[in-house]
Order: sequence, then structure tokens, then C-alpha cells
Amino acid sequence: MHLTGLDFLFWAVGFGEYTTLLLVLLIRRRFRRFPIFTAFILSNLVRTIALYFVSVYGTKASYFYSFWSFGILDTILQLSVVYEMYSHTFRPLGAWARDVRGAFVWLVAISIAVAAGLSWLAAPHARLWMQVVVIRGNLFSSACMSEFFVGMVVLAVKAGLPWKTHVARISQGLGVYSIIDVLIEAGHSYFGVGRNTQTYATLSHIRIAAYLFCVAYWIIMLWRNAPDSRKLSDHMRGQLIQLQAMVDSDLEMIRGRER
Amino acid sequence: MSSRTVYFIVAVAIFILVLIAIAAYYFRRSQNSSQKNWDRLLKRLTAVDRSSIAEVALDIIDESGQRRKDEASAVLEPSEISKLVGGLEGLEAMEANCAVLVDLAFYVQQWYPEAIVVAEKLRLSAKEIEWHLGRLRSAQQTGKLEGAFTMYAQPAVATYYLMTRQVIALYEEGNLAMLADLQNAL
Repeated sequence: MHLTGLDFLFWAVGFGEYTTLLLVLLIRRRFRRFPIFTAFILSNLVRTIALYFVSVYGTKASYFYSFWSFGILDTILQLSVVYEMYSHTFRPLGAWARDVRGAFVWLVAISIAVAAGLSWLAAPHARLWMQVVVIRGNLFSSACMSEFFVGMVVLAVKAGLPWKTHVARISQGLGVYSIIDVLIEAGHSYFGVGRNTQTYATLSHIRIAAYLFCVAYWIIMLWRNAPDSRKLSDHMRGQLIQLQAMVDSDLEMIRGRER
Repeated sequence: MSSRTVYFIVAVAIFILVLIAIAAYYFRRSQNSSQKNWDRLLKRLTAVDRSSIAEVALDIIDESGQRRKDEASAVLEPSEISKLVGGLEGLEAMEANCAVLVDLAFYVQQWYPEAIVVAEKLRLSAKEIEWHLGRLRSAQQTGKLEGAFTMYAQPAVATYYLMTRQVIALYEEGNLAMLADLQNAL
């Protein structure tokens, strides 16, 4: 396989960043709160190492199958990271907040419908049907991911549920990357994969560079500690408990009268 | 360039712009929420006509919050209730005050994780009251509020009346300097 110096540079930087981020997750004990995100970064590292050896010692076909197998795993793990971030935000007491459950269903349904619509509209020029499927599949998954992250911001604000610092940083990184990825995948679809793959490769390099910036952002943000939580004063605690009891009893009254 | 390709480019452009606009708008709102503090949140309570609210509320409940069963209770007509509450504006003010409770729960969950249980219960309850008031507002907008007033608005107003009285009581207990402002607002 012909690989350029830039390809090897991206591999080297990727290997360094994934290793550093894993060390940050381990040293700062973040892997306990974010096991799926840690697995996702670990899979990134394994993919980088495996694809390097396959590209050097393997055939073009073996590289193709390895690349797309890791691509599928990557998509599954990204969706799992979305679940993990939603879980941290919308399960403050260990169960999904009841006022956002219906909104989740709508969000998933609308996200899938919009992403499917975009993928259907895409008409990539390609020599193989497999390439068309890959381009459309990538566009679909990047559109879904970006919608899920923007949806998370909307739901959290509307429900009045705060993002914890590290959840916000991971989500922001992956959210921004997903939006850039939609543009890249749209570019892949527009320019297609003909005999000259230069444009396709350039767009892929931009996508990789964007992701490496995102990983560098995570390294810095996950190394930093979240702001210390504050100690609730006895007075404030008393106010809060009374306020909650009061609202609860008021609510019971409303419910009772509406029956 | 085929028409399908043109549609695709336009669709992607709209998709990206809408996503960025929504994300920026809500991200800014979340930043504003996280910069609030306890006292500033309570200062956001909207002023409502306390005497009218009390009149509507005390038509069906007594001072302790129990439902009145005497013959002189529940005598206000829907049109009178609507006028006293201040129509749609009055309901919006009460809805806004419930939103303050939601923000207050947000503030507590963000900075005081030890109180997450009580804050989350407060948030859920306030959201539900907000929902009831929102339903009334919808009835107002579709011109069906007159009929809905006795069934939903009066109990909601009574609830609001009790809630705000108790918030003032909390502040009286706390002997806080902003009590006068709070009493004016509520």
C-alpha cells in the first residue's frame, strides 16, 4: 500500500495522543466515571497500532477489511459514549428523569429521520457499490452523532439539568468533531471516489486532523480537575428541604383537584 | 450539476447552520444558568398582584391550605377569576416564577452534589407545576380558558399562593436582607 509521509505523521501523532489520553484517564482515575469513553479511546489506540502493521505487512484487501471493521466498532463505541454522557446528565438519581423520557424518543426518531434523509439525498460518484454504502453510512452516522450531541445540550437546558464539567468537555469535543465530520462526509459524497482519490484523501486528512485536535482538547480538559463542589450551609439546606416539601405538597393538591 | 446534488448541498448547509444556531443558543443559555447564584435567582421572581392572587386562592382554600367546604366557598365565576389573575399575563408571571425554582434546582445540582436528591425532587415538582400552568396558557391562547379556569386555574393559583407565601416564610426565618424585595415581587 502506498502511504505518504503525512499518513505516517498522523499515525504517530494519533498513537502519542491516544496513549497520553489513556494515561490521563488512568492516573486521574477518570476511567471509573467514564468506562465506555475509556474503552473508546483504547479502541482508537488498538486501531492505530493494528492498521499500522496491516498497512506495512498486509495486503490492500486485508487493510480494507481491517479499516472498515474498526470503523464499525468505532461507530458502536461512539454511540455508547453518547449513552454514557446522557446517562451522567439525565440520571441524577440513578434513574432516567421522568420529564425527559418522552423527549428522548422524539430526539432519536427525528435524528434518525433527518440523517436518513440526508444520506438518501447524497449521490456519491463511486466505482464500487461498496464505496457508495460506506460514504452514505458515514454521512448517516456523523449526522446522527451531531444531532444527538446538540439534542443533549437542548434537553439539558430545557429540563434544567446541569452538565458535570468533564461530561461537558467530552460532549463538546465529540459534538464539534461530529459537526465537522458531517461536512467532510458531505464533501466525500460530493466529490466522490473516482480514479483520482486525491480529494477524498485530502478530506480524510482534514477529518483526522480535526479529531486529533479534539483528542488534544480532551487530554487538557480531563487532566484538569473539575471545580470543587461547595459545602451546603445548614441554612441553605433547611431552605431547600422546606422548599421541596412545600412544592411537593402543592403538587399533590393540584393532582388531587384535577382528578 | 444535477438537481439532486443541488438539493443535497442546500440540505447539508441548512442542517449545519441550524445545528450550530441551536447549539450556540442553548449553550449560551446553559452558561448563563451556571453563572447565577442563589440570591440572584430568587431576585428573578416576577411581581404579581398579591391581593388578587390571594382572593382567588382563598375562594377555595383556607389560610392553612386546606380546601374550604363551607357554602361561601368556590363562588367566583370563571370570568372573575380570569380578571383577578390578570389573564394570560398573570399566568405567564406564575409560570416564570416556577421556572425560577427549576433554575434554583439547577444551581444546587451543579454546585452542591450532596443535595442532589432534594434538588432533583424540587426540579421535577416545579416542572410539573409549570406543565399545568402551560396547559392553562394553551387554553387561553385557543380561547377556551373560560371553561378551563375553574377546573385548572383556580387550583393552580391557590397552589401558587401557598408556594409563594412559604417562600417568604423561608426568607423570614433566614432573616435575609432581601426579604422586602422578595415580598414586593411575590
